[in-house]
Amino acid sequence: MSDALSENLAKYLAAKLNAPDLTVHDLARIPGGASRETYRFRARHGGTERKLILRRDPPASLIETERSTEYRAYEAFHKLGLPVPEPIALELGSEALERPFFIMADIENAMVGSILAPDPYGAHREKIGQQFFSILGRIAGADPKVLGLSDFEGASAPDQCWRHEVARWEKVIDEDEGEPQPIARAAIRWLKRNPPPPAQKISVVHGDYRSGNFLFDADGDIRAILDWEMAHLGDPLEDLAWAIDPLWAHHDPSHPAGTLARADAIKVWEQASGLKADPAALAWWEIFASLKGCAIWISAAHEYATGRNDDPVNAFSGWYCLTYHNKVLADRLGALA
Amino acid sequence: MNPDAQDILNKSADQLMGQLAPALNAQYSQGTAAVMALLLKFAGKEYERGADIRAAENADLRALFAELTPRVGDAALRKRTEDAAATHDTSLAISALNAANHDLRRTLIALQIWIEENGSREDQQRIWSALRASADRRIVSLF
Repeated sequence: MSDALSENLAKYLAAKLNAPDLTVHDLARIPGGASRETYRFRARHGGTERKLILRRDPPASLIETERSTEYRAYEAFHKLGLPVPEPIALELGSEALERPFFIMADIENAMVGSILAPDPYGAHREKIGQQFFSILGRIAGADPKVLGLSDFEGASAPDQCWRHEVARWEKVIDEDEGEPQPIARAAIRWLKRNPPPPAQKISVVHGDYRSGNFLFDADGDIRAILDWEMAHLGDPLEDLAWAIDPLWAHHDPSHPAGTLARADAIKVWEQASGLKADPAALAWWEIFASLKGCAIWISAAHEYATGRNDDPVNAFSGWYCLTYHNKVLADRLGALA
Repeated sequence: MNPDAQDILNKSADQLMGQLAPALNAQYSQGTAAVMALLLKFAGKEYERGADIRAAENADLRALFAELTPRVGDAALRKRTEDAAATHDTSLAISALNAANHDLRRTLIALQIWIEENGSREDQQRIWSALRASADRRIVSLF
């Protein structure tokens, strides 16, 4: 890894933490999605050492997100006691490391379940499923005002949540589609013609809560919920529908996220959130989830094709994930026609 | 061409995944190489089926337009679907098939909007049948 990045990072942290002797060691880039560059490093000062993570904006970001969103979500939910990495520092300027970034604690001895693995959680699938849907329920049940996140981007009224999100992702498709998308366009029209009931409450929606976006350890304990960069205010069913989307089910949609049976997963979420997952409303949000997926994958393909971000994960998303979600939508909407 | 492109891409993917990626000492590089290997596998499959699935989809859409055109009440749209139904693929180059496919898809979107507002349930289901067939053909399998 470049010495310049290490040196500049050390200089920044030394000033930020008032630790003039601070040095940075073993800075190395690690996989962390295409929308942020992720690095692991060790910071030493005063005879102590701490393992940290640097998340820096890439030259071009996959989905344009408010830079402070992810950091503020980590702050709020860390205080609430949810398993998220401890946030350390946020820098919105480009002077220190050329681009905005934030730093958080590393979670040691924990791993991510690959979305391509057929059974990433093995004997711990029930235990992890209970935690996974319970934590999501706690996010859904939390009050954005109490969290200090009521100014997050998103819908301001319960009956506007669906409209806000459909408009958001339709705009992404309008801007980024490299070829006509008849299935996604039909899905948008269906979603607009068949709106869901108003949200039970306005919640902080994680935006990408799914298998593959949390760290767990060898005992089957979830240690950290990651990737809050698409967090916003909206209908809590949006997160539940995304979490149970078949793409994240490890080839078994009857067990969302590769964990619990669907009915059990929803029950755990309802108990933890104090909310109801109305089947008709959830069905609408599930179709929306696959449409949102299409928009994200179309955007990823656009980033790759235009050379703005040539991370091969973008090509994979634009190829594998888009064709997957097109099939999910075609099957679901075709059955409703 | 022997070896053919699919064979070359598959073997390159296997070598990248099995021999080269593990020899890299950085976690990010290993992960990136593994994703690239997967993409080579996908590209190998696409080399084999790419022209076939596009030609089949284009033929499907033309047949759909020919079938539904008599029931389209809008004169401009009827002319458009009629003209689209009469087109042919003159080249099996992927770029040519894609260009034709994109024109056909644009017409399909316009037709589906009209059918949703004015057509029968059977015609809507007929369009979804074509869309499902397209999605089935294009899905990328990991296995």
